[in-house]
This record gives sequence, structure tokens and C-alpha cells, in this order.
Amino acid sequence: MARIVVDPVTRIEGHLRIEATVENGVITDAYSAGTMVRGFEIILRGRDPRDAWAFAERACGVCTTVHALASVRSVEDALDIHIPPNAELIRNLMYCTQMVQDHVVHFYHLHALDWVDVVNALSADPTETSALAKSISRWPKTSPQYFADVQNRIKRFVESGQLGIFKNGYWGHPQYKLPPAANLMAVAHYLEALEWQKELVKIHAIFGGKNPHPNYLVGGVPCSINLDEVNAINTERLNHVGYLIKGAIDIVEQMYLPDLLAIASYYKDWAAIGGGLSNYLVYGDLPMNGVRDVDQFKFPRGAILDRNLNEVHEVNGRDEGEIKEYISHSWYRYSVGDDTGLHPFDGETEFNYTGPKPPYEHLNVDEKYSWLKTPRWKDHPMEVGPLARMLVAYAHGRDDVKEVVHEALGHLGVGVEALFSTLGRTAARGLETRLAVHWMKEFYDDLITHIKSGDTRTFTQDMWEPETWPDVAEGVGMSEAPRGALAHWIRIKDRKIDNYQLVVPTTWNASPRDANGQRSAYESSLLGTPVAHIDQPLEILRTIHSFDPCLACAVH
Amino acid sequence: MTDPSIWGIMAQKGYSRRDFLQFCTYAAALSGLQSNAVAEVAQQFTTKPRPPVVWLHFQECTCCSESFIRASHPIVADVLLDTLSLDYTETLQAAAGHQAEACLHETMRDHHGDYILLVEGSVPMSADGVYCTIGGRSAEDILKEAAEGAAAIVAWGSCASNGCIQAARPNPTNATPIHKILNRPVINVPGCPPIADVMTGVVTHLLVYGRAPELDSRGRPRSFYGRRVHDTCYRRPYYDAGLFVASWDDENARRGYCLYKMGCRGPVTYNACGVTKWNEGTSFPIQSGHGCIGCSEAGFWDNGPFYQHLAAFPGFGIEATADKVGTVATVATAGALGAHAVWTNVRKHKAIKATIDESVNVTSDS
Amino acid sequence: MSITLTSPSYKRIYVWEIPVRLFHWLNAASLIVLMATGYLIGHPATLSHSAEAYQQYWFGNVRFIHFVAGYVFMLNLLIRFYWGLVGNRYARLRTFFPKTKAEIRELWEVLRVDIFEFDRTAHPTVGHNQLASLSYLILFVFSVFQIATGFGLYAAMSDGWVASLFGWVVPVLGGDGATRVWHHGAMWFFVLFTLVHIYIVAYHDYVEGRGTTSSMVGGWKFEREDVLDRKD
Ligand code: HEM
Ligand code: HEM
Ligand code: NFV
Ligand code: SF4
Ligand code: SF4
Ligand code: F3S
Ligand SMILES: [Mg+2]
Repeated sequence: MARIVVDPVTRIEGHLRIEATVENGVITDAYSAGTMVRGFEIILRGRDPRDAWAFAERACGVCTTVHALASVRSVEDALDIHIPPNAELIRNLMYCTQMVQDHVVHFYHLHALDWVDVVNALSADPTETSALAKSISRWPKTSPQYFADVQNRIKRFVESGQLGIFKNGYWGHPQYKLPPAANLMAVAHYLEALEWQKELVKIHAIFGGKNPHPNYLVGGVPCSINLDEVNAINTERLNHVGYLIKGAIDIVEQMYLPDLLAIASYYKDWAAIGGGLSNYLVYGDLPMNGVRDVDQFKFPRGAILDRNLNEVHEVNGRDEGEIKEYISHSWYRYSVGDDTGLHPFDGETEFNYTGPKPPYEHLNVDEKYSWLKTPRWKDHPMEVGPLARMLVAYAHGRDDVKEVVHEALGHLGVGVEALFSTLGRTAARGLETRLAVHWMKEFYDDLITHIKSGDTRTFTQDMWEPETWPDVAEGVGMSEAPRGALAHWIRIKDRKIDNYQLVVPTTWNASPRDANGQRSAYESSLLGTPVAHIDQPLEILRTIHSFDPCLACAVH
Repeated sequence: MTDPSIWGIMAQKGYSRRDFLQFCTYAAALSGLQSNAVAEVAQQFTTKPRPPVVWLHFQECTCCSESFIRASHPIVADVLLDTLSLDYTETLQAAAGHQAEACLHETMRDHHGDYILLVEGSVPMSADGVYCTIGGRSAEDILKEAAEGAAAIVAWGSCASNGCIQAARPNPTNATPIHKILNRPVINVPGCPPIADVMTGVVTHLLVYGRAPELDSRGRPRSFYGRRVHDTCYRRPYYDAGLFVASWDDENARRGYCLYKMGCRGPVTYNACGVTKWNEGTSFPIQSGHGCIGCSEAGFWDNGPFYQHLAAFPGFGIEATADKVGTVATVATAGALGAHAVWTNVRKHKAIKATIDESVNVTSDS
Repeated sequence: MSITLTSPSYKRIYVWEIPVRLFHWLNAASLIVLMATGYLIGHPATLSHSAEAYQQYWFGNVRFIHFVAGYVFMLNLLIRFYWGLVGNRYARLRTFFPKTKAEIRELWEVLRVDIFEFDRTAHPTVGHNQLASLSYLILFVFSVFQIATGFGLYAAMSDGWVASLFGWVVPVLGGDGATRVWHHGAMWFFVLFTLVHIYIVAYHDYVEGRGTTSSMVGGWKFEREDVLDRKD
């Protein structure tokens, strides 16, 4: 029996530590720990609720935007503010911008190196690579010369002896299965995607002034629409947005999806590894008729238990009996006792570190061992994220979702059960990106139609002034971040934040065990994973990366 | 082995000497240099191998890394492959765990005194550092070790240069900017995050000139933090004309008037947003209609609420502006003075009468 | 026609020399301008958008007036400090600081007599009484603070060497934002001072009838001879 420690887990956001025990080349137990905390929930107390989005947004610069969105929604829920339709459409556009960009970056820059051997790409035949690339998509950059140039560039880079970010990678590991041509194509697209990812987010700059961390506003969006003004959202600005969406559709349809399916076809064994939990939770998002009309969400809300796709359970963020956070294994203290779960409206955040003093070798996993709290839905551990979203939408019978899922499964020649795996998670991310990028076009067209009809409002003044607020108000702002179900709970008292709690996708997935010893998604998905070289954690990275960890989000 | 200098790499990639000089002109322009400095840039890129760079991550949201990869001139792929050797960065590097730590240690050992240290995130200085550990070691420990052999140190973003959000009241983890921990000069590049092309501009300056850009008293490069957002804001004419947005999306907002009354912090914030702008010059906060929140200023988190012109006085609650306190005090004082006047006539009527009586009396007996 | 003199005899004393009087009124005027323009800088009116930006510059003018008044205010104060070294006994800087036991006793006495009015007998002082002196001292401290923060802020938008002398103030106070909060907050001291000061001047004139108000115009005050004898 060996104890593997992976710390830092890299190509993620934030500070994650995995400890795992391996017996006979298979993981038998695993512990996931977040090792950095900042105390957002403490810092937010006593502040102006209208400022909260700017604080919350800084939980994470990778999924930048989603916390701002959840935050303004929580305040709007508490104060019963109904934002104008244009504001909703612009928020949806910003939301999709973030999701599409984040997923593409995750696939190429955070996840791909788990499947793609960069050094092996040097032995590829550029002509063969060109043929492969042409066979899977009509992406224009596919000439043999193009791939030869990329290969030469990598060659010189490797020969310089300075491998930079590729240094000490697991190159040559037996788990790398791609042929050289596919490796070279993926490396070329790694570079292309890196250059492209900075484009789409310009939509955030147009509507929110910058990316990362665009601006939000309680009651709407800060940008004004005025077709007759150079200082506002006008035709030029909207054209720019339209152009960026078009480019995104091309990238997703012609590069991301084909690459995803091509690579997946070499790793079908991973459709049986890393499934982990069998419960999935989705809050839903992309409102078509305001956030209060849940049935009109593009991503439907619901929970699935025991992988039963025939039943979708209703989810209510305000119900004190549904969502609770435990801290039995987290470095916090509850006034009501550390084994009790608290609904976020009554959530508490008080540090109570009991772990080893740094520097340390191992955490004491029998006691508290992480800065993440442990959220539970009706006391079930739940997986959240793209896979959960696709499953819940599928189980809801959403046609657009079913279509892309079936198409991908058919392409790979696997059944629906293949989704419950590391590979399924990675595939689901690509599929929802494909949906989202087309929805963007829809939102964009709706926005134009609206403006055409003469409605240019982007903000409602209702309840903006604190004098109009009730003395006490409570609200929950729910969203679907790229990594899964995200919600912020706010309690406003005397015009100030009295309590503010974030329960974040990666908190669901990466949390330590709960009071009943139930594992969360990361820990359970690692069970049974084969490990070829005990000193090279490639397989652990594959499964963990399939969740797209964000620990800064998770702890905040 | 091939020529590992930047010119060498570019030459092999088929770039002409003219392309190369064009690139150097960009690099020079980016670092805020005169065109006669191009020769110097070219000279540097022609002779140096890719300098080793270590990027540490502490209490952060990674938006600085995210911003960095949004750079448009140069694009980040070129920076990573051609300009420098990024030997350690948890966000992008292939290796994890022990292999990642080995990358760090090898660079610190083999390039002692030569590598550039870039730091993202603040360092929690209380409770023995348990609020941020990596590989079981505290952030403080890792930072001090890496700083020791660094040729230059750059603090990315507001976290590393002034503590940012986690240092906002009550700063639960005692989050501390790195210049307060290291007793050696640090180049502060504040902003939440800093603008991508500012980040590459600072790095380029370091690499090309082998020295830090000119810094102000707070360690910020003058080239990007020498002016207030307000001084380069395109809405400034509206400010001087006294044309202000009075509420969101009002008629004035739709005309793009000045956001001063909506709490814009441009007048008190030093940053390049108005000129360099964000995301390849696409826009910046004010252009999109939201005021500046002062994200590159130390302590901007505690300068809220963001939607009023002045920060609330600490300790008085969010609505207690100086003006509310002042108005109340003025009314109270006026009241007290009135009361005093009445009281004076009651208490001192004898004394006043005596004064009148003892004054010169002019009697006329006509 | 006969005139009966029933009053004790008074002496006329030249208390406020011309520089002091000039200082006083220039100080009062610049302060009123600074308070008015400063308040406007903090709370500009929203004008309707009938005029475009190229047609007006009112806010820029308000700021310009503030800065000019700031210079006047500072130079005037410097001259007053100089006169505090060379002027007459009533002008001396040392009169602003309560030092001796007697002076501190007087401070309490003024409080008892003029403010809380426990004691009904007026208490004539020739120059400033001790409490007034203290209020002017505090005013001078606030003035220096306001000049330091004002010019500190101005340093970012001025080439003037005067402003650049105060460049260090802003970082010490924690940045431009914090400095503005302090600068703006300190304005309220001046508002309160003006209110109280004018009232107290009127009060003394009313109760004592010694020409307090006009003394700041002509320089002369009146003092009972018997009291003067007691004092000297
Ligand atoms: C006692 C005298 C003064 C008072 C009552 C006063 C009051 C004010 C007030 C209320 C503001 C608005 C602050 C805000 O809301 O942001 C202000 C701004 C300002 N004051 Fe003063 N001030 C005084 C003296 C000075 C002096 C001596 C200077 C030196 C030049 C000065 C320079 C400034 C500057 C530069 C600003 C910022 C204006 C801008 O950026 O547009 N002030 N003042
Ligand atoms: C903004 C308004 C004013 C300010 C800031 C102000 C300030 C001052 C200061 C600093 C002194 C001390 C003079 C020195 O020793 O150099 C003073 C004294 C005096 N002020 Fe004013 N003043 C103001 C308005 C007025 C007004 C409206 C009057 C009445 C007409 C007045 C009457 C006097 C008199 C009579 C003294 C002498 C008081 C004494 O004997 O202690 N002041 N004032
Ligand atoms: N977990 C997480 Fe986030 C996301 N997606 C937030 O809600 O990444 Ni930074
Ligand atoms: S400075 Fe701002 S943007 Fe950079 S890591 Fe810190 S919170 Fe994120
Ligand atoms: S919008 Fe802000 S930065 Fe621009 S002129 Fe107005 S106050 Fe200054
Ligand atoms: S909020 Fe930050 S991005 Fe620029 S305009 Fe203000 S410094
Ligand atoms: Mg939380």
C-alpha cells in the first residue's frame, strides 16, 4: 500500500491537494483538500449589498463573471427586483461568453496535456497530420506545411533545452495513446486556441468594460444602448459582438468538437473509469423569461439520484431542508456543533485550523483536513457540472440536448452509460459548449429584435435606493457556472449585508467527507482508478481535471 | 544546438530581419520607449537565451494569469515559446506535485541570481501560514526562498502589490502584499487584474533592458501608472462641462456623460485603462458605462460603497458619509447656538441691562 | 440741553493691526469660496443636457476657482504666521497657545461665563480670550491639514512647485481616494467654526458692548479703565 500526495495539483485554479492510497496499482481511497482560504464570507459582512458582486466576482478570475451574476441575482431576489429583458439578454450573452471561453481553455490548456504527448508530436508526419485534420473538420489551417512549421517550432523549443511549462511533464508515459499525427494536431490547436481565447471575451469588454472581472449592476447591466450615440452600445459595438460569436461558433464546431471526439476515440477505456457519485444536481440557468420562470431556462433545473434518468427531482434553494453545508472535516467551527449541517441562510464562517503546522508531509485525514465546507442536497453527495447539466436536460427530454448527446455517443460507438465517467465528463463539457455557442446567436438576435422594437432599457431604478428597502430581506442567486451549480445566499439587515454565503460548484465536487463519512465527487471518482507509475500521477490528473477544479472558487 | 536567442528563434521561423526589427519596435513601444531605443531592444533579443521565469501563486483568484494570457501584443504563445522560459506556474505547467516542485527547485538552483520572480496573490501572515500552503509549505516560506535568488521581483495585481480583496476589513487571514515581506525592491503592477498588455509590457521591459522600468514612490512603473484614469478618460470633457449621469441608464447615461456622480473612482485611481484599454483596446470600464471602482488602488475595497462619490467613513456604517455627519452636526450646532442666544437673554438680562444703563445717556430738556 | 455721563470711562485700544485685519477678511472670504466650491466639487449639480460639452466649462471653472482660492488661502495664512512673529502683542503667535496656569484658568472661566453661563458677570479680555485663541489654533491646524491634503491632491494635476511639495501627503493617507475623503470631511470643521465664530462675535458685542465686531474692521476695541488698571 502506498500513499501518493499530489500537491500542487497544477493546471487548475487555486490550491488543491490530493492524497490517495494505492494498492496493486489501483486507488483504494482518496482525500481531496483545499489548502488556501481568504475569508470572503467574513469580509462581505456589513457592506453595501449593491457592492457585493464586485467582491464575490473576485473569488475567481477563471470563471470570472459567474459570481458577479449569482451575487446580483441574490440581491435582486431579496429585494424583488425584475430586470428589463435587454439586461437579461446581455447577461446571458456574457454568461455564454464565459462558459464557451472557459471550456475551450480547459480542454486545450488545462486538460489536453493529460491525453496529448507534446514530445511525441515531434515524430509525427505533417502530411499525415494534415490528412487527419482534414478528415475531421473543415478548419482552414490544415496544410502539411502548416503542421511542419508548428512541428519545427516545437522542435527548436525542445532542443533549446528550456522546456518551460512543458518541463517534467509525463511524456512517454504508457497511458498516452494518441498516434503522433493526432498529438501534433492537438499541439497546433493548443497554440491556436491560446491565441483565440482572448477574442471571445471581448464581449465582456464591450458590455462590462473588461475581462477578467467585467462590471455588473444590481437592477440590470451598466451599459446603455443608444444607436445614435458613439458613447453607448451602438451598431458598431453590436456588430463586434456578432462577429465574435461567429468566430466562436467556428472554433467550437470546427476545432474543439472534432478534436474532442478524435481524442476521445483513442481513450474509450476512460468511459469506464472515474464515474464516482451517481447523484447529479443542477440549478439551471439562461433564463428566457426572467430568472423566476424556471421552466423557461435553457439549462433546466433538477436533481438526479442513483443515475436514474427517468426521474428528475425538484430543487429549491430556499428550502431549509434541501441544501446544507457540513464542516465535520473542514477547518471551521459552527456555533451549533461541528457535526450539524447548516442551510446557507444561517451559514457560519469561522476559521478553526486543526491541521498540522507547515511544513507537513501528510494531512490528518481522520479529522478536519480541508478549507472546503461539504455541501449536501437532502444529505446526498451530489456531482455538479457539465455532466450533471447534460444529464438533467437529457432526463427532462430537452431535444437540443438529446440530439448533441446522441450524435456524440453514436460517433464514439458507446451507450449513454459511458457518460458516467471521466471521459463522459470531458465530453459533456464539449457538448454543452456546442449548445451554448449557438444559443449565443439566439440571444444576440433577440437583443437586436428588441432594440428594433424600440425597447432599449437596460436597468430598472426600482429599489436601487437603500431607503426603499425593507429592514430585513433574504435572497438566493442561483446560476450554472462552467463547473456546475453555483448559488449565493444573502441576508440584508438595516441596508447592510448581515450574512453572505457562497456554495460553489467545486465546493460540491472537491469537498471532504461529510459527518456521515460520505465521500464527495472527487474522492469517490478516484476510487478504482488504475495507476501505472506510482510516482507519476497522470491518471489522477485525468480524472481530477475532468471536473475542471477551481479551488479559489471552492473556498473563497 | 541552435541559436537560442530570440532573434535566432525568429530567424529559424522564417522571419526576416525586417520583421524582427518591427517586433522590436513593438516591444519598445510597449515598454513606453522612444524609437531610438529600438536598437537596444534588438541587441538584447539578439544575444540572450530565453530568461528563466518563475511564477508563484498564493492567495489569488488567478485573474492575473488569466489576464496575462489575454495579451495581444505580443500574444502569449509567442511569449511562452520565444521570449522567456516559464519554468513554474501552477496554472499552465504540465507537471504536477513532486515533478512541479522539482521544476521550481531546479530553476532556483541552476539559475540562482538570474531568474525573474513573478508573484500572483498575497501571503497570509497569521497562524503560521496555514491559510495558504502548497506542497505542505507555507506561502511565506516558499516566497522567501524563491525571492532569495531572484534577479528581479514583480508583484502581479492588487493581491501581491497591495493585498486586494482578502486584505479588506477585517482581513481575516492577515493577507499581506509581498513588498511588506521581502526587504528588497519589488515592482508593483497593481490592478484587479492588471491589463494584459501592461503585464507583458513590464516583463518585456525587464528582459530587454535588464533593469526595472522607472518606478514611482509606490513601486509602480510610471509608464503605466503615472496618470489617473480621470486624466486620460475620454469622458473628461463632460466632467469639466459639468454634464453628469444622475442615475443608471438615464438620458445622460445614454449620451455617455461623466460617471462621477455614480461613484466613478477615476479621479483617484492611477492606471492605464483610458489609454491602453482592455482586451486589445476593445473598451474599459467607463466606456462600457460603469464607473471605475479603483481596482488598482491600495485599499480600494474599503473605499466603498462604490456607487457614491466618497467612501463612507470607517466605523460609521455604509450610509454615514462625511456629509451626513456634517449636516447633522451643523443643524445641531445651529440649534445649540439658538438655544444659547435665548438662554443668554434669560441669564444675562441684568448684566445687559447694566451695560445699557451705564452707557452714555443723552438727555435733552427742551 | 445738558448731557449727563453715567458710564464708567473707557479707553480706546488699537488691537488689530492692518495685516491682521487684512488677513482676517481675506481668510474669511477665501474660506467661504473654498467651502462653496469644495462642496460643489463633492456634489455637482446635474444640469440638463441642453448644452453640449464643448459649449460649457462650468465644473472646470468651479475647480479652477477652488484652486485659486486655495493659493490665496495658503499665502494669506503664511503672511499671518509671519505677522505672528513681528506684530503687536495681540497678534503674536504665542497668544494662541494656552501656557501659563492663569491662561488655563481663564480658559475655564470663559467656558463658565460665556458658554455655560454659570457665572453671570462678563469677563473682558483685550485681545482674544483663551477659549477663542484655542479655537483659532484649532482652525490653523485644520487649515494646514486642508492645505496639505488639498495641494497633495492638486499635485497630480498641477505642474506647480507648491503642489509638488505636498506630493508625499497622498501616499501617507493611503491614496487619492482616502485623501479626498479626509479633505472633504475636514470641510465640515470650517462650516462649524464659521457658524460658531460669527455667533460668538455677535454675542460678545451684544453682551459686552465693546465694539467687538467693528474691531476687525477698524482695529479698535474699548476697555473699561478700571478693568485695565486691574489687569496691568
Ligand atoms: C479649508 C479650505 C478647503 C476646503 C473647505 C476644501 C473643501 C474641498 C471639498 C469639499 C472638496 C471636494 C472633495 C470631494 O468630494 O472629493 C475639495 C476638493 C479639492 N480641493 Fe479643497 N478645500 C479646501 C482647501 C483646499 C486647498 C488649500 C487646496 C489646494 C489647492 C485644495 C485643493 C483641492 C483639490 C485639488 C480638490 C480635488 C478637486 C478635483 O480633483 O476636482 N482645497 N476641497
Ligand atoms: C469665514 C468666516 C470667518 C473666519 C474663518 C474667521 C476667522 C477668524 C480668525 C482666525 C480670527 C483670529 C484673528 C487673528 O488673531 O489673526 C478671528 C477673529 C475675529 N473675527 Fe473672525 N472669522 C470669520 C468671520 C468673521 C465675521 C463675519 C466677523 C464679524 C463681523 C468676525 C469677527 C471677528 C472678530 C471681531 C475677531 C476678533 C475676536 C477676538 O477678539 O477674539 N469674523 N476670526
Ligand atoms: N467552482 C467554480 Fe468557479 C466555476 N465555474 C464558480 O462558481 O471556477 Ni473559478
Ligand atoms: S489582483 Fe485581483 S485579479 Fe489579480 S489575483 Fe488578485 S483578485 Fe484576482
Ligand atoms: S467618467 Fe470618471 S474618470 Fe471619466 S471623467 Fe468622469 S469622473 Fe473622470
Ligand atoms: S476599475 Fe480598474 S480596470 Fe481601470 S477603469 Fe478603474 S482601474
Ligand atoms: Mg461558502
